[in-house]
Amino acid sequence: MVSEERRSLLKMIGAGVAGLVVGIAGGLALAPEKVREIPKTTTITQTITKTETPVAKLPKDTIRIGVLGIRSGTWATYGTLIEQGARLAMEEINAAGGILGSKIELSIRDEAADVVKQARELVEQEKVDFLVGVDSSGNAMKLGPIMPELNRIVIFTHAATHRVNEELVYKQGIKHIFRISVPVYQDGILAAWIAKDLPVRKWAGINPDYEYGRVSWDFFKTTLKALRPDAEFVSEQWNPSPGTTDFTKWISAIMATDAEGLFTTNWAVEAITFHRQAMELGFYKKIKAVFNPMGYSMDVAYGLGKDYPKLEHGMWVSGRYVWFYPPTDVNKRFVDACVKRWGRLPAYSTETTYSAIYMIKAAIEKVGTLDLDALIKAMENMVLITPAGVRWIRPQDHQAVYEIPYGKISGETINVGGDVPVLTDVRAVPAFLYYRSPPDYKMPIG
Amino acid sequence: MDLTPIFYQIFIGLYRASIYWLIASGLTIIFGVLRVVNFSQAVFLILGGYLAYTFYYGFTGSFWLSILLASLCVGIIGVAIEFFLLKPLYKIDVTYQLLMTFAVSLIINDATKILWGKLPVSIPLPETLGIGVSILGRTYPLYIILMILIGLLIYVSITILINRTMWGLRVRATWRRPEIAESIGINTSIIYTSVFFLGGFVAGLGGSLMVAFSPVAPGLGDFLIVSAFIVTVIAGLGHLTGAYIASIIIGVSESLFTLYVPEVDLLLIYLIMALSLLIRPQGILGER
Repeated sequence: MVSEERRSLLKMIGAGVAGLVVGIAGGLALAPEKVREIPKTTTITQTITKTETPVAKLPKDTIRIGVLGIRSGTWATYGTLIEQGARLAMEEINAAGGILGSKIELSIRDEAADVVKQARELVEQEKVDFLVGVDSSGNAMKLGPIMPELNRIVIFTHAATHRVNEELVYKQGIKHIFRISVPVYQDGILAAWIAKDLPVRKWAGINPDYEYGRVSWDFFKTTLKALRPDAEFVSEQWNPSPGTTDFTKWISAIMATDAEGLFTTNWAVEAITFHRQAMELGFYKKIKAVFNPMGYSMDVAYGLGKDYPKLEHGMWVSGRYVWFYPPTDVNKRFVDACVKRWGRLPAYSTETTYSAIYMIKAAIEKVGTLDLDALIKAMENMVLITPAGVRWIRPQDHQAVYEIPYGKISGETINVGGDVPVLTDVRAVPAFLYYRSPPDYKMPIG
Repeated sequence: MDLTPIFYQIFIGLYRASIYWLIASGLTIIFGVLRVVNFSQAVFLILGGYLAYTFYYGFTGSFWLSILLASLCVGIIGVAIEFFLLKPLYKIDVTYQLLMTFAVSLIINDATKILWGKLPVSIPLPETLGIGVSILGRTYPLYIILMILIGLLIYVSITILINRTMWGLRVRATWRRPEIAESIGINTSIIYTSVFFLGGFVAGLGGSLMVAFSPVAPGLGDFLIVSAFIVTVIAGLGHLTGAYIASIIIGVSESLFTLYVPEVDLLLIYLIMALSLLIRPQGILGER
């Protein structure tokens, strides 16, 4: 009874102080570690947390996790989103007794300040046991190859290049790398699966001129051409990124063609600017359908709000997780916790990082030790029930297989700390069907 | 063949040209009079955008008033920079002034991150400007037309100011021979300061108008200053009409290259600069 009362008191104080801190600190909107909300349920994995005597005690009573995200420059928000996911998971797990009795501690670093150096310092000086996060594909490709030398597991939660799972893990056999977020298969391949059914034949692309934009556009073109041979690609434009604030010349160049559909992987604030300028120039009077794979990232959704253009054959958007899908209790609980804590619907990298921390928990609880090889074995083939749905960690390439839908901007919005466009005509395809697969993994169908 | 897409692309290029011109004009007069390549000119433009954002959301809520206030503020900031940071350096080698303007641009760039955060900011376009004008069956956004006209207006006004007013006469005298200007009683110190005000005001105007359409962000100045330098190099340093023409050449060719050769559009701009340096090193309208 006493404990119950103390808890609810703590909870109230916690919420109050957290609210104050969030209000005052603005950009640094994170409550100090002492201020915790205490959630009622924490088990989101298949493993059942035992609150009594743990089966196995770990050799140390804190598990340190290094969190890497972009914390400076144009994409600085994304580092914060990663941090939110890590913090929420840490707070929940610690409040429920930790991992086999050991508490989680986070060390947060800016990957934009030389990711390799930051990771080395995290491992060598701060003695972290795991690394999670990483926003940039370029940084993932730099960090991945040194993981065996650092002798730690890294779980990527945002960087999307397929080269991470296809080259680093599958071809080079670096077993220390896992990825819990969806790769560019979502951006390029799934978009084409949906685009093939639209009454649009001539497509154009305006994409950021680096790995992510190039690869996604390439996947989109090849997949769509294979699924629908009459598709034509009439123009491709590349904008520098980060740094483009004026898209006019690329937009008008596409307007000069007879394109009916547009594929753009511009994301974050560049996506917001792009859509606004496209509207001003009357671009969406001409273009009938748009695919913007990261267009339902929450910063873009909140940024455009009611102004998010709605098109004749659809403004199709997605993310690496979208807050309403799937409508499970696990997801609802997660969304509620984020709304309560930060006043907004969760961004995808918040979910992926949150789930990554739970993946670490599940692996440690399964093997009862911090032995690296045992943990890698435990993570391979693991099935996790997470807010984004059931994730299966494919053993061949350590890639989480799970589905995320695309949907059309409906014109309606809901208000959760700001206007968020509601999606309609939500379409998902089982990830097993559209993911690229390692050669020795075969679907048992023709 | 339907020519409207080309016209439209040129139209978009003229808008781009206008932004380059609003940076390059200040760069040109400041270089002409003070012999200083003002590295911070593009940052003035960005600052104009940020200040318009602050005035709009923080105080006035009026688009036009915010633009006026922001432009004036940037002009005054320009004066302050000239008075406190550059004046003490006039007696020593010109390189130090160059370094100082470079330092100023770095400082302002970082200060914007502290004051306005790392994310781009923008203000809403007033509804009166959000409409399109239909010309020969094609809709042209009024805002973009306005930006092109303001570029032209600034060109005409500066030309009149410099060629037809008493102040302009003093500026021209200082421009040609500062020592002689001083010996006949022109207060060159005031001329320097007023030229900096004008440069700051024009860049501030450009930035504050731009922010209603393209957001301003930390580091954006680095992108713009490169194009503005290309413009002044092609124009011939210190030549106003040349700078206006060069802005149009760069803006329009950037735009047309995007339409026809999108793979190498960036490269071609530098190619134009290289060619103009080889063929007319003194600039398109330059003498010497």
